[in-house]
Amino acid sequence: MTTPVLQATAVHKHYRLGKREIPVLRGIDLSVAAGETVALLGASGAGKSTLLHVLGLLDPPSSGEVHYDGRRVDALPIGQRAALRHAQVGFVFQFYHLIPELTALQNVLLARMMATSVFAYWGQRKQARQKAIAMLEQVGLGDRLHHRPTELSGGERQRVAIARALLAEPKVVLADEPTGNLDSTTARGVVDLMFSIQQQRGLAFLLVTHDERLAQRCHRVVRMQDGVVVR
Amino acid sequence: MIAAFSPFLALRYLLTRRINLLSVLGVMFAVWAILLVDSVFAGFVSTIRTDVQNSAPELLVTDLPHDTGYAKLRDALQAERELCAATAPRLRHHGMYEPLRRPPGAELSAISSQIDFDHTENGFGILVGIDPVREANISGLASWVARASEEFAVRGLELPRSRVLDSPDAKQRAKLLVAPELEWHARKRVGLPVESSVENHTSSWPGVLLGWRRFRRSQALLEGDALDVVVASFPGLGEGAALHTHPMRMAFAGWFATGHRMFDEASMLVPIETLRTLLGHDISDSDSIDLVTDIAVKLQPGLSAAARAAAKTRLQAVVQGLLPTGSAPCLVLDWEEQNEVFLSAVTHEQGMMQFVLFVVMLVAAFVIYATLHMMVTQKIKDIGILAALGGSPRGIGLVFLIGGLVVAVVGTALGIGTGVASAVWLNDANEWFFANWQVELFPRRLFDLREVPCHLEPSWIAKVGIGAIVLAVVVAFIPSRKAARMNPVTALAHE
Repeated sequence: MTTPVLQATAVHKHYRLGKREIPVLRGIDLSVAAGETVALLGASGAGKSTLLHVLGLLDPPSSGEVHYDGRRVDALPIGQRAALRHAQVGFVFQFYHLIPELTALQNVLLARMMATSVFAYWGQRKQARQKAIAMLEQVGLGDRLHHRPTELSGGERQRVAIARALLAEPKVVLADEPTGNLDSTTARGVVDLMFSIQQQRGLAFLLVTHDERLAQRCHRVVRMQDGVVVR
Repeated sequence: MIAAFSPFLALRYLLTRRINLLSVLGVMFAVWAILLVDSVFAGFVSTIRTDVQNSAPELLVTDLPHDTGYAKLRDALQAERELCAATAPRLRHHGMYEPLRRPPGAELSAISSQIDFDHTENGFGILVGIDPVREANISGLASWVARASEEFAVRGLELPRSRVLDSPDAKQRAKLLVAPELEWHARKRVGLPVESSVENHTSSWPGVLLGWRRFRRSQALLEGDALDVVVASFPGLGEGAALHTHPMRMAFAGWFATGHRMFDEASMLVPIETLRTLLGHDISDSDSIDLVTDIAVKLQPGLSAAARAAAKTRLQAVVQGLLPTGSAPCLVLDWEEQNEVFLSAVTHEQGMMQFVLFVVMLVAAFVIYATLHMMVTQKIKDIGILAALGGSPRGIGLVFLIGGLVVAVVGTALGIGTGVASAVWLNDANEWFFANWQVELFPRRLFDLREVPCHLEPSWIAKVGIGAIVLAVVVAFIPSRKAARMNPVTALAHE
């Protein structure tokens, strides 16, 4: 049996609100294999986004373990978690989360700058730029390189976000309702693009969504309710 | 390692947010102000110190007991040949003068209805009795006289240099006697009896050299004009003490200028023998004391600072050994100690001014802090995005720290550039503003100097530059630390 690219074991997460402790995740077990697409379905407040943040090492679990390629990573120091996040994970958010001061090309290039020193990046800047342009062309934005987010439509912004998530060649993409802010036609186009790239690259995809039809396109659907996996 | 995104984003944020220009301008203004104002003040202090040094002997033996004679001390001091090159007697006493001829437009009374501490507005002052022949070996007496004409000349007044020190006759020089024809004409001007011919006249009024800052009161005085000089004393002790006033007619012998404002305002140089006579000492009496209050000393050239300090101690011991038993210790003061209070006041003022300028710098630093703090607050979501993309907390913090550093470096560079340029062209700019707008940014009359002095030390520029950058980085550290410690999930959820 192959080692899952991403695995959560007995993950608990609770937040403290004053003296109250609010449990959000209550013993989640989940694994995602390389090249597998998994849809995470559930009502609002079920803990889907929190699980995504824990799996993406943005938020440490209160208890339980997170493994990347069989290696426990949730207890790593914060700097190492950031480096691992950059190397292994690509995030796509519902609200795109692009940096407004940067053009589409610069937003994508930013992913390349995260773990590279100033001097190392200076030596490879042309190569990085070419790769970012190729990525943007792949998502159909070859003619929108120098447009800022405010000059792009919602669908175009999400494509930029997808290109940015993929530039560092992660093993797994964590997408938090990537079509939640798009009209159905645009959403379909974005989803088609995502699945097309996923297949080309053999990426693992973990998709948080409310959309049953989108979920059905994934290899596996995991449903959550009140912080636990129900099916 | 500095991740590439940190400087990249820092520059993008700076360039796209105009408010950062305010921080740059704040730092620039603070550095400019510190450099310009301090350079003017440093130049002012340097000029003052030079002038004060010019007015004072290298060493002054002072706080001598009442009725101290000069000759014995002179011989003892000059016996210290390896230390002492020359000595000159000084006798100080308060006095006043009144011109016999009241020049038109100069009718100011010595008695004023207003409280007036300005020596230039009345006839009061300190009579400094000097031996002009000996004094010439100690201080720049001849140069003081020459400088007075220069001071007048730069103010557009043509007043000839006093010729009182030019006489080949040492006795005439010792009494500061003006040329006979000058005194003869002066007598005629006030209706005093004179010889029928100027050739038959011999000068007899001892001369008085006035500090050039008394000019306003005495501006119409002509060389040789008669001055009535009066000193007052209380000879005797206790109930037997009675006020004695001693008047003497003297001649205005010209102006002197040392550059030391207080000395030039307060002092009137008179022959020491004349002042002794005024104080009741009869020089023709063989028992009379060659009275001094101070002895000016010129040290041998080339002595190190340590040797000069040792000389002070040695000469004090020599003089003290000759004073009556039980005398209070006399003092031997170098030029700085002679003007300690004045120089300390100037140094203190400079320190206060630097403190005020430091506060200006703090305000500029606060502007940096405020704009960066605002930037962090407005960029919370970006911080979350950077964390999601794999940015380390250190790298995220560096975005804002580098922002502060760039603001500080650019502001400091601009401040140094404008500060140095302002200092270099200060007098030209001052002239230009005055010529075109009748505005003097640095009024020379206020400084009372020929030109606004400016002294810019490269080491001071470096200190200000480094200090400004360090201060800015320190204040930028606070918002950058806040950014680095931000929870990425909270940041991403921020609206």
